[in-house]
Amino acid sequence: MKHFSEEDLIAYQLHESSDEGSISRHLESCSECADLSESIAETLRVFSAEPVPQPDLERNWQRLRSNLSVLTPERRGFEFLRWRWVWPVIGFATAALVLLMVFSIRIHRTSETRHNFAVNGHGPLTTQPNDPAIANHLDAAERLLTEVNNSSGSLDDTTREQAHSLLLQNAVYVRNARDSGDLAEAAVLENFGRVLTTLDNEPPTPHSTWRLRLEMNTSGLLLDIRILRQNDDHSQGVAQ
Amino acid sequence: MSNRRMDKAETEAIQGVLAGNRDAYRVLMDRHFCSVTRVAFRITGNEADAEEAAQEAFLRAYNKLPSFRRDSTFSTWIMRIAMNTAINLVERRNRDLSYHAPRIADEPSVTNHTVRIADRQAGPESILLNREAVSLRRAAMAELTPMERTAFTLRHMEDVPMAEIASALNVTSNSAKQAVFRAVSKLRRSLTPIAGGLR
Repeated sequence: MKHFSEEDLIAYQLHESSDEGSISRHLESCSECADLSESIAETLRVFSAEPVPQPDLERNWQRLRSNLSVLTPERRGFEFLRWRWVWPVIGFATAALVLLMVFSIRIHRTSETRHNFAVNGHGPLTTQPNDPAIANHLDAAERLLTEVNNSSGSLDDTTREQAHSLLLQNAVYVRNARDSGDLAEAAVLENFGRVLTTLDNEPPTPHSTWRLRLEMNTSGLLLDIRILRQNDDHSQGVAQ
Repeated sequence: MSNRRMDKAETEAIQGVLAGNRDAYRVLMDRHFCSVTRVAFRITGNEADAEEAAQEAFLRAYNKLPSFRRDSTFSTWIMRIAMNTAINLVERRNRDLSYHAPRIADEPSVTNHTVRIADRQAGPESILLNREAVSLRRAAMAELTPMERTAFTLRHMEDVPMAEIASALNVTSNSAKQAVFRAVSKLRRSLTPIAGGLR
């Protein structure tokens, strides 16, 4: 009998499963899965919503109002600059595309001969016990890279501050990964460190985020971080 | 958080703010501050931090209002800012070990900044059980990363659709879903020692 995984049963209990009918039928005949499903349901009941205190609107408004400056609409003075930059941008994008194609061909060839766990994601990157804080660090990295990949214009101050703080933490995790011989994890985190260093040191310009995406392949790095995150979860699950 | 288009009052309020009338922002605050604080409370776990995150989110939204493109509603936009602000606040608090916001605890303590919710109806046994349950829930939630906590509480407690959580967290729908699944799995394991039969 094929059993359903814990993840399938969590999705079922949260009504996120695309296979509810067959899971429901299976639970009627399999006591093992039914017990697991009931334990998930019990967990969800224990963590059900508690009442939330109501904020004092007037007090909050008075506090907020004192910090509000008088705004003016954003000036749109870039029309002339936009046309002036069209050809250099097209030229740069073409060059970057060619470079990306060359790199992707090289990576494809390398992956045929040398197995890279970080990129291919086959199995856990490590069998050693994990520092629980790395999960948090990888979550923060994923959010930051997603922001970089989706932002138009320069990043705001809060995101840049976050990059600065992540940079300090990242150096520690790179060193830990190297010390424990986890070279794939170290390589991915080192690449992330380069992105953070650039964000931390380069002055924000309207094109800085866009250039960072092209030059450092932040989309590819985001994928590597996600794979690392999944492998990290997998190895923690094995450890438990 | 809904996808409905902004109504006239909100559009006018934004135009008013952009024209230099900062009091017009009150309309947006009256409409959305409670729901934003509610979500921030789910993420931060305490009232003081929830209000601070909501204040910061409204201030950031105000300053970014000139670049608000209106391809989403103001409520979706402010909620997205609030979630990120609340997550960043939780991360800052985790780094700053010297900070203790008032939190619910078994015994109120001035030095530990803890408070207790009074329950005059409860008997000794239920008081004991409640205390234990609150401590266990708090400890289990503390094990989650801010992203897992956010995704889980919004999905399970606030019934926010996965796509909206993903959009607010700036991750893919699959990542948001995985974060919820990881959270439930971790919480279930945290309960295992007391539940006996749970595997």
